[in-house]
Amino acid sequence: MTIILDPTDERVPVARQISERSGSVQGVVGLLNISKPRGNILLDELDRLLTENAPGVEIRHYTKPTFAKPCPDTLRHQIRDECDFLVEGLAD
Amino acid sequence: MHDTVWFEIQGIPSVSIASSVFGQAAETQRKALGMEGARYVLVPHPIQDATDDEMRAKAREAFDQIIGALRDA
Amino acid sequence: MSDQKPEFILKDLQGAAHHFDGTGPALVCFVKEDCETCNIAGPVLQTLSQAYGDAVRFLVPGQSGEKNADFAQRHGLTMPVLEDAGCKTSFSWDFEIVPALYWIDESGAVVTHFEGFVRDDWQALSDQMASATGKAAAQVDWDSLPAWRPGCGSKHFDPEVYDALRAEAEGSRLRARKVEVASGDDMAEFMFDQGFSDGLPLVPPTPERVIRMLEGTHRDPQDVIATVPPNMGPATVEKIAINAVMAGCKPEYLPVVIAAVEAVCTDEFNIHGVTATTMGAATVMVVNGPIVDKIGLNGGLGALGAGNRANATIGRALRLIIRNVGGATTGGVERSVLGNPMKYTMCFAENEERSPWEPLHVERGFKAEDSVVTVFAMTGGPVHLVDQTSRRPDQIAGSLGQGLEGVFLPKMHNLPIDALLVVCPEHINTLTVDGPYSKDRLRDRIQQVTARPLSEMVQDDHSGAGIPVADAERMGPEKLAQLAPKFAGKEYIHIVVAGGDAGKFSSAFHGWATGEVGSISVSRKIDLG
Repeated sequence: MTIILDPTDERVPVARQISERSGSVQGVVGLLNISKPRGNILLDELDRLLTENAPGVEIRHYTKPTFAKPCPDTLRHQIRDECDFLVEGLAD
Repeated sequence: MHDTVWFEIQGIPSVSIASSVFGQAAETQRKALGMEGARYVLVPHPIQDATDDEMRAKAREAFDQIIGALRDA
Repeated sequence: MSDQKPEFILKDLQGAAHHFDGTGPALVCFVKEDCETCNIAGPVLQTLSQAYGDAVRFLVPGQSGEKNADFAQRHGLTMPVLEDAGCKTSFSWDFEIVPALYWIDESGAVVTHFEGFVRDDWQALSDQMASATGKAAAQVDWDSLPAWRPGCGSKHFDPEVYDALRAEAEGSRLRARKVEVASGDDMAEFMFDQGFSDGLPLVPPTPERVIRMLEGTHRDPQDVIATVPPNMGPATVEKIAINAVMAGCKPEYLPVVIAAVEAVCTDEFNIHGVTATTMGAATVMVVNGPIVDKIGLNGGLGALGAGNRANATIGRALRLIIRNVGGATTGGVERSVLGNPMKYTMCFAENEERSPWEPLHVERGFKAEDSVVTVFAMTGGPVHLVDQTSRRPDQIAGSLGQGLEGVFLPKMHNLPIDALLVVCPEHINTLTVDGPYSKDRLRDRIQQVTARPLSEMVQDDHSGAGIPVADAERMGPEKLAQLAPKFAGKEYIHIVVAGGDAGKFSSAFHGWATGEVGSISVSRKIDLG
């Protein structure tokens, strides 16, 4: 971790905002398996629940090469281009 | 949380699922990444020795929270 | 006693914490695993601890992380070898060389302290300890040891370690909010995302860098230099330093940036208006005086262009301060229809050596030995003024005048608007070929060659700018025949010398609204302490 000093007048909290939530889940939901053992079972069950509860939602599965590092850029870009939502798991 | 934060910046609502022992880590990390609003959902520990049925139960219990994290402001 | 050493709590190789409360009797010796001299001292320490360890507490803080264990093992050390993580304790004990040994008595007084290895000192120490403890003298084969070894520089002086330690120790001098950026996060992207940038990459303002930057000024970090519009954010020396780091400044540039902030935040200069105007004004900084050579500002070849760090980063730092401390973001308060590249940076030095005139700052009332920054609000430029063939002084002066016709629009005259004329050395040569040619004479010449009858300024089919037709009719032919120079007065024409020796090309900056309604140029002495 690196610390930097705030160059502003500090009126606005230095924070990134999360993207807007639309009030519904539609389109393509990505399920990203971070490759920790047993996470796949949980994600498969989520797939089933999504299909059952949110018909019309398309589900795509992705797998990260290793849970120990952030997702490689190529995979990140692929997911960004293909998905409207992302669920990532399972960190343990 | 790194990935979650990255996808949020790209405009894709995201949620990270972690076992309950990771609550503190997730909290620290999203703060360190400058996105205190990044979403995560915790499922009960343990994971590695849980049976398949127990894993599915964890998924069912967390499902509403996961959808909520993607759907609700 | 005043020389009592700071207390510490450090862990040994097994993870047990050892608290040194400042008092002894204790022998504390800082070592570094890869230091040859420390490895000479190692076995001696062990022998001393066997002889006196019952009566004196032995503590050996190591600076080598995991390798501390190697050191302990190599010399069979039985006293606690401690982990001085990050060299914080070494820093607070403030020595320079390892091994650094302290023998401390019950009261906490340092009885003996030495650094490196001088055999006689160590032998004398052993004798002292024997008499103080009433123990038999340690059996050291002194003759087998070298008489003297210099030791190694303490690890806490490694630049990256030292700066971090100092930043932490001096943390109280810094008040700015600390922002944590995770190691997996891209720092450059993070800073873009936070809106800190002018569009170009920034140098991360770590506490270490900011502390170093602050060394460029004698002023207290919390001194408020100005309140910066539009948000009226307080520009402390610290905030200025943070932005100067981001801009890429060296510490010695900081006083110039501070003076520039002071200058633009005056009522006269009106940085709010300069920033907000749709016309797209920007600050042009001219620096004069001894600081120019001291910090390497460029007033010569390429002075108005790229390639010089001081020119580029000082101008940029000012701009970042307006953005970050003042809150003037493009599209927010910053509303210029097109903007101009001077909004990134525009700072140069006057080429005083090649000027036949007194330097700008002296003309404006300062002493020649003062260092001064002068700020102008300019909407355009630098515009090239090309004349490669004039041979007589009044010819080149005339060309420079004609070159200024473009301010606002060639058709517009009698403008109460500043222009900053930058005369190049070759044009200076032509101007002064017959002897001195004063600045005022040049101004008069500019006004003379640009004088046109008012009739040429009436709105017509070619251009709807200028004197309304109805007004022109009221004025009548006699009045319309009167000549109007480009500028409402010659005081609007500011002149400096800059540029390299080869090339008959001068330049001009075109002003924004000048005066109470707009901006008045301001000079500020640079405080060099």
